[in-house]
Amino acid sequence: MNALGAFFSRNAWRVFHRNLLAWQKYAWSSVAINIVEPFAYFLALGFGLGAYFSLTGYGSLVQFMAPGFLGLTALNTATFDAAWGAYERRVFNGVYESMVTAPVDPLEIAAGEYLWQAFRSTLYGCLFLAVIAGFGLVHSWWALLCPLVLALSGIVFAIPALLVSFVVKTQEHLFYYFSFVVTPMVMIGGVFFPLDKFPKWALVIAWLTPLYHAVKVFRALVLGTVTAQTALEALWILVAIAVFAFVPVRSIRAKLAN
Amino acid sequence: MCAQNTVVYARSLTKRYAEVEAVRGIDFAIHAGECYGFLGVNGAGKTSTMKMIYCRVARTAGELLVLGMDPARDASRIKQRLGVVAQENALDPELNVEENLLLYASFFGITGNGARDRARELLDLLAISAKSKALVRELSGGMKRRLVIARALVNRPDILVLDEPTTGLDPQARLLVWETLTRLINSGLTLLLTTHYMEEAARLCGRVAVIDEGRILAEAPPAQLVTQYAAEDVLEIVDADGRLPADTQLDGLVARRERHGDTVYLYNADNRVLLHRMAALGFDPPRHVARRATLEDVFLNMTGRELVE
Ligand SMILES: Nc1ncnc2c1ncn2[C@@H]1O[C@H](COP(=O)(O)OP(=O)(O)O)[C@@H](O)[C@H]1O
Ligand SMILES: [Mg+2]
Repeated sequence: MNALGAFFSRNAWRVFHRNLLAWQKYAWSSVAINIVEPFAYFLALGFGLGAYFSLTGYGSLVQFMAPGFLGLTALNTATFDAAWGAYERRVFNGVYESMVTAPVDPLEIAAGEYLWQAFRSTLYGCLFLAVIAGFGLVHSWWALLCPLVLALSGIVFAIPALLVSFVVKTQEHLFYYFSFVVTPMVMIGGVFFPLDKFPKWALVIAWLTPLYHAVKVFRALVLGTVTAQTALEALWILVAIAVFAFVPVRSIRAKLAN
Repeated sequence: MCAQNTVVYARSLTKRYAEVEAVRGIDFAIHAGECYGFLGVNGAGKTSTMKMIYCRVARTAGELLVLGMDPARDASRIKQRLGVVAQENALDPELNVEENLLLYASFFGITGNGARDRARELLDLLAISAKSKALVRELSGGMKRRLVIARALVNRPDILVLDEPTTGLDPQARLLVWETLTRLINSGLTLLLTTHYMEEAARLCGRVAVIDEGRILAEAPPAQLVTQYAAEDVLEIVDADGRLPADTQLDGLVARRERHGDTVYLYNADNRVLLHRMAALGFDPPRHVARRATLEDVFLNMTGRELVE
């Protein structure tokens, strides 16, 4: 099957629909968890800690963090469900097992999961966007492009998480991914503070992670400082999706058709 | 090679996992409209055989044709026409009964009102209509199994493949499943099932293949297997002190004698005649069971092991 075509195949949307049906049953608690927690951090750090200083050249901490938290929300929602959620679906709930006894291809399963994570990131990210807009922290109509970037971010963050969920042998190993990959990525992603005082090598590592680029795009859109550089950051995300989206498919195939 | 009405054809079919050779070159042909069963203990290779047929695992060697197509090339087209009841239920616990059916139907391109009608019809057929809005975790084991059967029928399959359809069910639930499967067989559907219950094989299957350690040891209609590999009757005698008369003294009435522990199994044509002859020899068996031979005896004779431990 054509790789890009999988995203538009009916079965990919049915996989998406399956997740939507399951999610609807606990949507409110899911929304609460995915919004209340980052929002609490945002308030505590932005207004609590931020009350004591401002960032030279960047203004208040809360203004700096607001777009950063859009990236963080996309990262957390997509990562959590693509890693842990997909692990549950595969190992405990037999969801994919029944899909492959029906004529659903592993490529369509991956595409459906990406679409689902794009949806989650967009939904939760937009709720957060509404909140920061309410605080007067959004300064440009460019911010209307945030949903699109949230969707792409959801996909790019879901890729490694989905891969991990299909290769780990036990659920404990999932937490290695959270601790050794996701958390350091957040620290160097430019979410909480600017990175220009970081050593060069740390910036190189940051440049290699998707969060760094997503946060730059969100910041430009929210502040209205869009330049050609912003387009390149977005391009980085698109290229990463094009190059890596099919890496997990091999592992899915190995687990579901051996 | 492949007769007109052959729906599954296997020749030297082999499945090897990393270290284990689970299926060691088996041959069989399943005909349209029959119920064909694989009878064997745990680890015999039943599930591996089914999974190769329903395109879940690739075969290692040999030939396999399902509905005239090769699973290595046409998996998707084969799946479109199969109904699969896998050994594990794999029902979606986050969806309710009806959603499970509708989602599965959608994978076959059955959607909208057509899907809803089909789901309703199947829930009626499997007697679980009352539970259509229940979550899967609220169902009993027997209901779950019936839901899996309903799900397998949603695409009006040409062959229904069932891997141990009643294992783990209580006798009443098992009976319900048997009744449903009997109705499906009578309606002309081709069934392929695995079991380690000889009663299940005897009741449902037109032909049974006895499978052990990855090989088919015999294949025939159940009654024929029994007469061919066991006998009409069995006399089980507990003979701890070895007083039982030798076969030579019993006028050739014993077709076959097996000993497992203290129990001796005398396969013969008619228990009454045999007991009569023993009495004439002055031997009155103290503890014994006189019964008809079954597939269990066939299995015991062929493998030296019991079917259900
Ligand atoms: N995925 C697998 N990897 C390695 N060995 C397996 C796998 N599946 C089954 N086996 C082995 O193959 C043999 C046959 O198993 P199976 O086909 O499940 O038999 P049955 O269904 O009759 O119990 C067993 O020894 C089992 O341990
Ligand atoms: Mg099995």
